[in-house]
Amino acid sequence: MTTHTPLLIIGTGFAGLGLAMKLKRQGDNDFIIIERSDDVGGTWRDNRYPGAACDVPSHLYSYSFKLKSDWSRVFAPATEIWEYMRWCAQDEGLMPHIHFNTNMLDAAWDETSKLWRVQTSQGEYTANVVVTAMGHLADEKYPAIEGIESFTGEKFHSARWDHSAQLDGKRIAVVGSGASALQIIPEMAKIASQLIVFQRSAPYVIPRPDRAYTEAEKRRFARDPESMEALRSDLFWGMEYNYAQRRGIPKSIAEAYTMANGHREAQVSDPEVMKKVTPDYEIGCKRVLISDVYYPAMQSANVYIEASALERIEGNSLISQDGNAFEVDAVVFATGFEAIEPPFAPHIHGRNGLTLSDYWSTGMQALDSTTVAGFPNLFIMNGPNTGLGHNSVLYVVESQIDYIVGGLAYMKERSATVLEPRPESETDYVDEMIDRAAGTVWLTGGCKNWYVDYRTNRLTVTWPDFAYAFRDSNGEFVPEHYATA
Amino acid sequence: MGIVLTKDPVVEGEILVDGASLRYYDSMDSRGERNPIVLVHGTTGSTAVHYGYLFPMLATRQRVVSVDLGQPAGELTIDSFRRQVEAVIDHVLAGQKVTLVGYSLGAVVAATVAADRPEIIENLVLVAGWAKTDSQQLLRNSVWNALYESGNKDALAQFTVFCAFGNPFVGARTLDELAPAIKAVNVTEFGAAQMQVNRDIDIVDRLDKITANTLVIGCEFDQMVPKRHSKDLFGAIENARYTEIPSGHAVVFERPAELHKQIDNFAADPHRHPAGTIIPTVKP
Repeated sequence: MTTHTPLLIIGTGFAGLGLAMKLKRQGDNDFIIIERSDDVGGTWRDNRYPGAACDVPSHLYSYSFKLKSDWSRVFAPATEIWEYMRWCAQDEGLMPHIHFNTNMLDAAWDETSKLWRVQTSQGEYTANVVVTAMGHLADEKYPAIEGIESFTGEKFHSARWDHSAQLDGKRIAVVGSGASALQIIPEMAKIASQLIVFQRSAPYVIPRPDRAYTEAEKRRFARDPESMEALRSDLFWGMEYNYAQRRGIPKSIAEAYTMANGHREAQVSDPEVMKKVTPDYEIGCKRVLISDVYYPAMQSANVYIEASALERIEGNSLISQDGNAFEVDAVVFATGFEAIEPPFAPHIHGRNGLTLSDYWSTGMQALDSTTVAGFPNLFIMNGPNTGLGHNSVLYVVESQIDYIVGGLAYMKERSATVLEPRPESETDYVDEMIDRAAGTVWLTGGCKNWYVDYRTNRLTVTWPDFAYAFRDSNGEFVPEHYATA
Repeated sequence: MGIVLTKDPVVEGEILVDGASLRYYDSMDSRGERNPIVLVHGTTGSTAVHYGYLFPMLATRQRVVSVDLGQPAGELTIDSFRRQVEAVIDHVLAGQKVTLVGYSLGAVVAATVAADRPEIIENLVLVAGWAKTDSQQLLRNSVWNALYESGNKDALAQFTVFCAFGNPFVGARTLDELAPAIKAVNVTEFGAAQMQVNRDIDIVDRLDKITANTLVIGCEFDQMVPKRHSKDLFGAIENARYTEIPSGHAVVFERPAELHKQIDNFAADPHRHPAGTIIPTVKP
């Protein structure tokens, strides 16, 4: 049986839910959302490892059109963010639109009927327009570790945390030193008999100004919503300030070093640990992380930092590139996500059957970061050049929502069955991305990061400018960039 | 001697005007689509102090020139500064139309330049400026002067930060967090002379000579030059549009990224909003 819908949205993370909310609020009910899991929430449903939280304050990391007055803390824990998303979906009447446990397997443009044919785990859907809202951080990335199958203890990725695993008093290894690892390590240090941290490169870490909101503050936010907007504005422009570091502005780089080096020197006393946790690349090349509990944990008596990548596994023995072996009972892979080559790309077929991954074989690209030539009636959220290292990615998501809502309205207005980006507009946009990215620290900072395509050295994941410039550039649909039929 | 503003080399030069030695900076960008921006700093400021953030960030998109105002040999008036800015533009950007940006006292100076040389000042941005000094400013100026004369540098620095930053900004920070800003206050004799110039500002009669596309930016929590002054400029300058930033007078420190957006958007397309528009403040 085939289910037809004018608009099919794939995914119920912040992108998919936000778009659906905006449509619903303007009285548009003609859409279906498919979700591979049994609940909404995207990365916040998946990433519930101990210590999980967002690095952006919650009053900013939430929809501008769905404010929440009672965030418990400046940086709410992951479960609270997930609850917020569930509340949004319920409160805005989205649940009846969502088909759960429905995994997109393949989507192909049908030239004859001018429809997308989408195969899922629950059968076929056809749709006039498809929006992929599958997230940057949706599919976990396992390193290719020799002998990984020979490990008999508990092993899982941070995004697939096994909450039934008994880790208390065990010898635990955490592989990685990115944002997830930084949150997991202090929690594991509390319960492990011994914790081994495999660290390929040390992150820069700055203080995390967290605190609980008082009941009085929460009630003030509820009674005076403008005070929430004022706080959002302070938070947004405060984070926006730091874009100058990514641009390599000498004064800003100096400020960033002062903050990160000062934090490390204030928190690390052991000279051996200091050597291992001092980064060897320019600040900002990888994400600057925030934590007040990471350095203390790294100096715990039961924690050992192996400043070398995990190379292979032999039974329960983990062997580093430096040749050191560690016997452990459990391994947590905090090794990040597939962002450079989105896992959905091989399953999307445009005109003439070309897959998105083939089209992107030299790196992701899209017009206005949202649509792709040769892939009509398709909008991609969180696609090429939409990530932010310095501010809330929801600002980008909301901009993309406005763009897509504008595109859908344009199609309706013209009674268009086909909306297709002009290839020359896409090329211009890609050139503009290259131009904007030139001179940013991601390309010049001397580190390996997950923003730059390894095949072409082109920055394809991150938006290479102020966040505000994304909305200036892509916050409104641009009819001149498209052909319709 | 020099200051490092951007990753790329910035040309520094000096010229002599009325006996004052002026330093200027030029990002020497050859991308020619936009008018070059010329920056004029405010009271007791300099390019490094007031535009340490904006100069390099604006220079990522276009050519930027900045002037460090100097003390002339003779009497210091608003027209001394006007001649200095005009001299730098004539020297560095001869024959080109410019986007002139002034902050605080620099906005007053920029308005006088735009009135005097409408043929070269095509676009004008006035940040936290004013046209005529009022009693509130005079009272603050007098207290400032009394503290300066007393030699109590610590009190002067605290008073400066108390006035310069917006009350929400100050109130949300501990004294420890504000200490670097207080420590950074450094008043020279030239700075004190500028404070005297501030007492007598009256450029009301010149404003109708300004023809430039003008963006007036008021700061919502400004206690030094309250935003009503920016509204007055918005009313007085024919081709003006207005926007507000939720900041104190020290917007170049409190909200430099938001200020960057407003200036950069305007420099890219000065006609985007017609004269008379109040451009809404960004709600992220």
